[in-house]
Order: sequence, then C-alpha cells, then structure tokens
Amino acid sequence: MLKCNINGVDLEVPEGTKLIEAFLKAEQKIAHYCWHPGLSVAGVCRLCMCEIEGNPRLQIACNTEVQEGMVASNQSEKVKETVRWGMDFHLINHPLDCPICDQAGECGLQEQYMEYGQYTPSMAHAKVKKRKVVSLGSKVVLDSERCILCSRCVRFTDEVTKTHELGIFNRGDKSEIGTFHDKPLENKYAVNTVDICPVGALTSKEFRFKQRVWYLKDEKTVCPGCSTGCSVKVYHNQEGLFRVKPEYDAEVNEHWMCDEGRGVFDWVNRQNRQSYSVNAENMEKPSSSELKLILTAQQTVEEYESLFEYLKSSNKKVEVYYWKNNPDKFDDFDNLLIRGDKNPNTKGLLETAVKHDITLNPFSGFDGFESFEGDIWFILPENKAVYPLYEQYVEKALKLENNLTIFAVPKVKVDKTKKNISILPLKTYFEKDGHFLNFNGLKRQLKPGPLQVSSALALNEWVSFVKSDDFGDQVDLLSKRKSEGFRKKNEMTQTGGGL
Amino acid sequence: MAFILKDEDKNFVLEELKRYESKYSAIIPSLFRIQKKEGWISAEAVSVLSEVMGLPEAHINEVLQFYTMFNKEPVGKLHVQVCTNVSCAMNGGRELAKKICQKYQVKEGAVSQDGMITVTRVECLGACDKAPMMQVNDKYWEDLTQESAIQILEDLKQKVVG
Ligand code: SF4
Ligand code: SF4
Ligand code: FES
Ligand code: FES
Repeated sequence: MLKCNINGVDLEVPEGTKLIEAFLKAEQKIAHYCWHPGLSVAGVCRLCMCEIEGNPRLQIACNTEVQEGMVASNQSEKVKETVRWGMDFHLINHPLDCPICDQAGECGLQEQYMEYGQYTPSMAHAKVKKRKVVSLGSKVVLDSERCILCSRCVRFTDEVTKTHELGIFNRGDKSEIGTFHDKPLENKYAVNTVDICPVGALTSKEFRFKQRVWYLKDEKTVCPGCSTGCSVKVYHNQEGLFRVKPEYDAEVNEHWMCDEGRGVFDWVNRQNRQSYSVNAENMEKPSSSELKLILTAQQTVEEYESLFEYLKSSNKKVEVYYWKNNPDKFDDFDNLLIRGDKNPNTKGLLETAVKHDITLNPFSGFDGFESFEGDIWFILPENKAVYPLYEQYVEKALKLENNLTIFAVPKVKVDKTKKNISILPLKTYFEKDGHFLNFNGLKRQLKPGPLQVSSALALNEWVSFVKSDDFGDQVDLLSKRKSEGFRKKNEMTQTGGGL
Repeated sequence: MAFILKDEDKNFVLEELKRYESKYSAIIPSLFRIQKKEGWISAEAVSVLSEVMGLPEAHINEVLQFYTMFNKEPVGKLHVQVCTNVSCAMNGGRELAKKICQKYQVKEGAVSQDGMITVTRVECLGACDKAPMMQVNDKYWEDLTQESAIQILEDLKQKVVG
C-alpha cells in the first residue's frame, strides 16, 4: 500500500493506482471525460489536471501513478485556470445545443460548463459544422458536432467487444468519430458506447427524445434477460419504464450489459400487460385432490419455495411440469456476458426443486391433459420473446376444458364465457422482492419498484391466498383493486427525432 | 470494378508486416503501394488490406483519412497538385490552378473527361524559393508561369499516351 494525500485527505491505495482513482477514492471532485474505469488510459481530454507537490508542471491525474508520499491537489487557482482553458478548447466547436440534447442533465460537459464555463464566448470564428444526425446502425445515433473526441467509444469497441468498428477519421478540427465506410455498428453491446459517451454525441435510438432524464427515477435491480443476471438500473416514472443501464458489479458484469438486456423492461409496461383478472370474481379455492402445474425458470427462488412447500404439505397428488426453452442452447456463452439460457433462475428452480424433493417433468404440450380431472395451474414466462412455442402453447391451453388457472404477465386473449379458465395477472421481476440464482449460483437480489399493474400478484402471494381461510375474499379484493391512475403520455415530450 | 490485390502486392504487404514490431507500422507503406498502382485507395482496397494484414478496417481507415497525401477518390493519370500557400499564392499560384482547370475543363478535385488530369490545391510543399510550383504525380515543377506549366502538362500527357 502507498500513502498519499489528496486535497488534504490522507489515504492509502494499492500500488499501481492512478492518481485519478485516488481522487475518486478520497471523494474529491475531478473532471474526466476520456478516462473510464473499464477502459485503458487515453489522456486526451486534459481535464483531470492536478498539482503534485515538488512538480512544477501540472499533471493529468488519469495517467499518473501514485507514488509513496505523494501530495496532490486540484484546488489551486492554477489548476482551475488550466481547467477553464481546457474547457474553452472543448467548446470551440461544440454546438452547446443542450436544450435539444438527450444527454442534458447527465452530461459531463454540461456539468463542467456550469462550473468552469466562460459564458461569453471569445471565439471570433464560426464553429466547424459536422454531421449532426448519423445513424450508426439500428441502435445508436451520432451527433459529430457534440463529440469531444475523448475516444472512449473507440476504446470500447477495441478493448471490450474487440469488434473494432469505430475510429477517429480525418484530423484537426475535422476529426470525426465513425465506422469504416459508414458500416452499421451492430455488435451486441453497442449501446454501452452511449452510456460511456460523456456528452450527447452518442444517443440511443430507443430512448432518444422519450424523456428528460430529470423526470426519471432509478431502481437498482437485476436483468432477467439471461442466466448471467447483470446488475442494472431501471429508469422509470409514472408513465412507465423507459430505459435500463448497467450498474457496476465486479462479480458479474463490471461496467457493461448487452443490448438485448436493455430492451427487456418493455414487457413490464402496463400497455403490454395482462392488467386485469378474468373469471376471478367467483373463483373457488382449488379443491381438487389432483393438481398439474406448469412452470418456467423465470420466477424467483422465494416463489418456488412457497409453491413447493405448499405442494408438499397439501395432500394433493401433484405433478410439476418444467417448460424449458431452447435447452440445447443453455450452455452457449459469448465470452463476455450473454448466455444461451434466457432464464434468470434456472439454477434457483433446480436447487429449490431438489430441496423440496419435487420432480420436474419435462413439459411438451397438453397431450393427455384432456382426460385429467383435477386443477391445472399454468404459469407463463414473463419474457415470452425467448419462448418460441409460447403462442402455440397458450392457444392450446385456451382450448382446454379442464379447470385451468393461467398466471400471466403478457396479455392473454381469452373468451370470457369459458368459465373453466381464469386468468390472474402476475408481477414482473421489477415489481417483486426476491432473488434469482445465476448460472454459477450467485445470488441476484431483486429490488421492487412501483407496481405497474395493481392487481398483479406474485406466486408466493397466490400460495398464501390458497392457504388462507378467506380465499374468495382475497381474490375478490385483488380483482377489485383499482389501478393507480397512471398518467397519460407527457404532452411535453416528443416522440419524433427522425433520422 | 472490384479491387483485386495482385500477388506481388500482397507479398509486399506481407514482407512489410515482418519489418515492424507493430503491424500498424506497415499500414502506410501498404497504402502507398496500392495508391502507386491504382492511383487512389478505395474502400474495397481497405477491406482487402484489412484481411491480408489482420487489422480492423476502421484502424486502416483512420490512417488513410488522416493523411491528405492519400487519394480517397480516383484521380487522373496526371495528378496535378498546385501549391497555393503564401509564397506561391503571392506569385500567382491560385491563378495557375484556375488556369489549368480551365485549360482541361475540369473542376478542382475531379477527373477530366479523358481521364488524364486531376487538379488539387495543396498547402506548402517546401519549395517556396521556386514559387509558384506544382507537383505532378511524384515530381516537382518549379518557377512556373501559366504557359510553362501548360507546356509541361502537354508534354507529360504526350508521354503517358505515347
Ligand atoms: S462519440 Fe462520445 S465517447 Fe465517442 S469520442 Fe466522441 S465524445 Fe467520446
Ligand atoms: S448478458 Fe444476460 S443478464 Fe446481462 S444484460 Fe444481457 S441478457 Fe441481461
Ligand atoms: S481524464 Fe485525464 S486526460 Fe482525460
Ligand atoms: S508556399 Fe508553395 S511551396 Fe511553399
């Protein structure tokens, strides 16, 4: 360990630590555009200036290693003056179009400008015009004028995805980020470049112009997109969910997540949900002595626990069917994050089943179910996109004459006169407490955000209804729960932003 | 027209790759080789090079786009680069460029109808004492007048055709 002093704060850091990391560790503010903890050092933005005792010249903190006894600060007028000038250079050709920029509110340049901006521009020359709306493939848009050439995005495609699509072309004030021959940027992690871009040069097509970031709250939770279980932040407000970003997690996903995982929030939104129950008014407590249950690996461990415990303690004859999607791809891995098992909790399901001595029979359709006299509980997966046979099985199920209860996140179109079928809306990963076990058994804790469908329930709640004496009342209450009056689309936000 | 890297050029590139510690160092000589043969470097050529060299297209393109000496568009058989920086400009460099364009009915940067001439204005080529001057392909022509420059180009044209 090395002792050092940063802005008067004494601390110890391991050998090889960069000065900028020491600043951050000491909770000192230090501007940085090009340095990113997940990438190599570029040292090009010149904003992380600091003064090191005994060194007459200012140094950049991102490319200086801490030495034993180093005393550094970025508080002096000399440093501030330098940063002010550096800032001015960055702004020579920057359009400063914050009012129409998606990054406004979470932009490094904007923050720095508030503190160090000269406000009255001293440049007599016109700004260099560059390409304003460049479509970089299906997911990312580039505004070359806003780019400050920090090269983070280039280093990302070089070092993390190793797909090498991006480069800095031309030179001087004509330098521009781009792909060779305007090829689309289509790697599976492309939107991470949007996250790390310190300004509004790279924006996400999906999120662009949908919301101002200061109207959004965020919730730290886990991505249910595959068995990796990346730590993420979900951004939402009364209108619903709007985007997902990765959250640093040293054990799983570090700074990144895949693009597919960013889209999964969509099924949580009310407009895509089964938002009311069907035939639940006069529902009776499941009384048959036989029960068939179909489930997937998309529920939480807590749900499996309560379900299996109930099944074991009831005196019913129970058969549990495990609906597995694409089992032949379960072991696929792209060597970065994406896994072929598109369920967040396969391990959790298997372990809980073993713990409660439950046999999981493979599910392959409803053949032979017709003659069955007991109850059927059909728990649909919430991420139906990864279940190729989803529509087919649901259609089959809706034709059954058995006493069937369907638990669903996505909309299910049922003929209401078919009194043998009831549908109950299910909570999504974003709305319930609980955890998954990822591919290597690591506990992935969910954190519930606001309920999007008020009558939705988790399976453990269902089990508690079934166990309670006033089952009918409970279900009744659930179906009568009024939705919370979600706000309609904010008339102040645009949906356009054509390319 | 699809770009094909001839065996001899491919071998050249492979040899260059061996010469340097970093593969990236071989980009410039390889690009120059192609330009020498083709007159310019197309996107296709970059793709082929990328495969031969085992380097990403984007990185080769970074080098290509950085240097103005590489032609990113086709040029005529005679690439006439007229200096219009200070010394040459003061001695009629700009007018010279205009004159040549007029004479061969070609816009700056474009290729004349017969495929012979491309005129571009360039910054100082380091021959200020002999201003105005032009560079035709690899060769400098100095102390020019409008007449002498046209004469030189006519002679060169003759040589190329002949
Ligand atoms: S586009 Fe963004 S991340 Fe890429 S170099 Fe420009 S400012 Fe940096
Ligand atoms: S790799 Fe898997 S867990 Fe991570 S973001 Fe992508 S889908 Fe979600
Ligand atoms: S963060 Fe240090 S130079 Fe950019
Ligand atoms: S100004 Fe023309 S060669 Fe220098």
